[in-house]
Amino acid sequence: MKLAARNLSKRFGAQYALRDVSFEVAPGQVHALCGENGAGKSTLIKVLSGIHSEYEGELLVDDRPQRFTGIRDAERAGIAVIHQELALVPELSAAENIFLGHEPTRFGMIDRARMERESRQLLAQLGSSIDVRTPVRELGVGQAQLIEIARALHKQARVLILDEPTAALSEREVTALFAVLKAMTGVSLVYVSHRLREVFALADQITVLRDGRSILSMPARETDERALVRHMVGRPIENVFPSREVELGEIALRVSELNVGRLSDIELEVRAGEVLGVGGLVGAGRSELLLHLFGAWGTRRGGHVTLNGAPYDVATPARSIARGLVLVNEDRKQQGLVLEQTVGFNFTLSSLREFARLGVIDAQREQERQQLLSERVQLRPPDLDRAVSALSGGNQQKVVLGRALASRPRVLLLDEPTRGVDVGARAEIYALIAELCAQGMAVVLVTSELPELIGLADRIVMMVDGQVGGTFTRAEATEEALLAAALRRAS
Amino acid sequence: MLGALLAVGAFFASYGALSGRELGFLTARNLSLLSTELASSGVLALGMLLVILPGHVDLSAGSAVGLIGALAAMLAIDPSALASHFGLTLIAGPWPAPLAMLVAALVGMLLYAGMGWCVAYQRMPAFIVTLGGLLAFKGLHWQAIANATVPVVRGGHSNTLSALTTFYVPMSYAWIAAGLGFALFAYLSFEKSELWLLKTVVAGQLLALALVVCGRYRGVPLAAVILLAVSAVVFVLCEKTTLGRYLYAIGGNEQAARLAGIEVQRITVTAFVLMGAIAGLSGFLQTSYAGSTTTTIGQLMELDAVAACVIGGASLKGGRGSALGVLFGALIMAVLLNGMTLMAVSPEHKLIARGVILALAVWIDLRLGGAR
Repeated sequence: MKLAARNLSKRFGAQYALRDVSFEVAPGQVHALCGENGAGKSTLIKVLSGIHSEYEGELLVDDRPQRFTGIRDAERAGIAVIHQELALVPELSAAENIFLGHEPTRFGMIDRARMERESRQLLAQLGSSIDVRTPVRELGVGQAQLIEIARALHKQARVLILDEPTAALSEREVTALFAVLKAMTGVSLVYVSHRLREVFALADQITVLRDGRSILSMPARETDERALVRHMVGRPIENVFPSREVELGEIALRVSELNVGRLSDIELEVRAGEVLGVGGLVGAGRSELLLHLFGAWGTRRGGHVTLNGAPYDVATPARSIARGLVLVNEDRKQQGLVLEQTVGFNFTLSSLREFARLGVIDAQREQERQQLLSERVQLRPPDLDRAVSALSGGNQQKVVLGRALASRPRVLLLDEPTRGVDVGARAEIYALIAELCAQGMAVVLVTSELPELIGLADRIVMMVDGQVGGTFTRAEATEEALLAAALRRAS
Repeated sequence: MLGALLAVGAFFASYGALSGRELGFLTARNLSLLSTELASSGVLALGMLLVILPGHVDLSAGSAVGLIGALAAMLAIDPSALASHFGLTLIAGPWPAPLAMLVAALVGMLLYAGMGWCVAYQRMPAFIVTLGGLLAFKGLHWQAIANATVPVVRGGHSNTLSALTTFYVPMSYAWIAAGLGFALFAYLSFEKSELWLLKTVVAGQLLALALVVCGRYRGVPLAAVILLAVSAVVFVLCEKTTLGRYLYAIGGNEQAARLAGIEVQRITVTAFVLMGAIAGLSGFLQTSYAGSTTTTIGQLMELDAVAACVIGGASLKGGRGSALGVLFGALIMAVLLNGMTLMAVSPEHKLIARGVILALAVWIDLRLGGAR
């Protein structure tokens, strides 16, 4: 099957997520989609798979224009997506998952024998001999992925879209997956990955997306990793970052030989007035590091943390906040805000005790503080009584930041502080970070955006597979160097 | 809440039209009895709110009402018998009622602390934990009274426990106390606006009207005063204290609350312990109103309490609800029961009507909420 997009544009409000993207998958081809975080890869996949049905431009299947109005629609046309987060029911068996929603029946009852027989055949095609009666929760990620692929084949998919399929796989599982993918016939693959080595190992054709546009499309053998990285990055860094001249103070936070979960031997330190950038791929363990330091994730196997000169090894969120170590976590909707409550409610949630005597809140003092916070983070409009759920992403992020500042942190841990935030609010958040540092706060900044790392951080640590994969000073940090460090697989 | 009003209004209008009988609802005597009846269920519903706000539920409330009330009555009448029912030996005369109530309430708080610990620290669903409580407390209740009927006080006498629902505050005291209380309320809530003036004047008139009505019977029922006091405490707790704020935050988004530095587990246990104390108070009122403790005291009261919360606008998912709304919800449930009793509706029809009204009120609320 031939699948093509012609001059595809997709807007969210005033912002373009895709602009004039053209892209063609030939029958039987392995087509890699490359680009930085936020380049538009996920949006493109969502259009191709029918999740977004509102867009400009054309989608062609075997040269006939098509507009999918839902996932089922796309599936019927032969397009299946395997997402990074697998969509399997853990309690059901492999066979039941493969046939979920399309169970074969006999006299109105599920024909279990036929289901299991056909599942075995499908999996055998993929070179796997998993017992199809095993519940999926007992299978490894690699095997679960094969089940998803088998499910797609069962639905007669002719274009298979794989979104970061190797993010959670071990080296051996990756090799096995590649063998399966290479052996598949009659199916076109769209392969999305950050890992350029994999792209070159697999792809016939490569399309690069950048800032929502398709920059170029060419045969894989005509290019190399270095050139590809240049195309992926290749944009002048906008001058939205404040210039900073800061005298560094004492060491505010020091982490030594930290081992927890997948994180091993983490060493880092950050001084008062400094921004320490932490980069790396999604899944490299950056968020886990911040959560652990804050006291909200993992049991430590070893290592020490020193906070403002004193050992700080038994952390809980409440204790961390009391000692001036505050986290702004990455998922503000799920884990940051009480969405149905007001802006004011959220602003002072962490610092409520300051305004209370014997547990009773002094409403006037609290409100004064809320007003100050709203000015400090430039909330617009500065309406304290509005439900947070009604705010834009930028304003929501400002509320989370305001709440963090309300508890007077000395070390601020920021996890993706500008995700889903528009350009204007971004610049304001950058300025705020600079201002806080000038006042002597130490900041640890985790971000997937390389320009942000380079523009804001005084020093940058790149994490790879739970380890510190390289440290860069501001002068050494170029996007090419950082990306190369992030993509280096620890082996 | 609006939905509840409409549903109840429609119910009474249709019933009144059908029966054509005089309701006898708005007599001073009936209103006075109603307020006493409302006290124990209203207090319990207010406690239930504290458990529902952080996203839990207490199905054991009715059984706890029976158990704690029975413990107080047994201790006030015959502590030796109570001990012997549990296979212990204790030689003691009747305890003073206040002491009996205090000890019974402490036992209730301890039991609730245990359930709170299971929910908060062992992460067991409150539905299951309190379902276990429902059964176990009922068993303990029956064991405590050996399946008999035990009066709250020896015949012809009265004690603090019996006085809870039989004592009426004389009107002269009531007027003075109400005047002082109203002045305090007006002072605390003062803001410079016409709306405030209007609200205060209306509230004052309602209060005066209530007092006048009470004056035409025997005075202000002590039970009504207790309900008012508990309402005020729960209102302040929810609206003005850190604890209340944390309950809303935990119910709204537990993960966010934890990461905002709220000690979710400790707060959850606190909510359960408060519920234990309130279930005790409700138990004293209910047992006192019945005049004796029997195996049926408290039966199904947990469901009326949950219904009052939901009708009053609280969300069973947590994070939403208010003390005033719940008080209103409890009032609706009590008025409904009282009205049906006056109209001589049979018990089976009463149950059906309660169920239909609950579903209807929530359905209307959802509709209106969806349109907003």
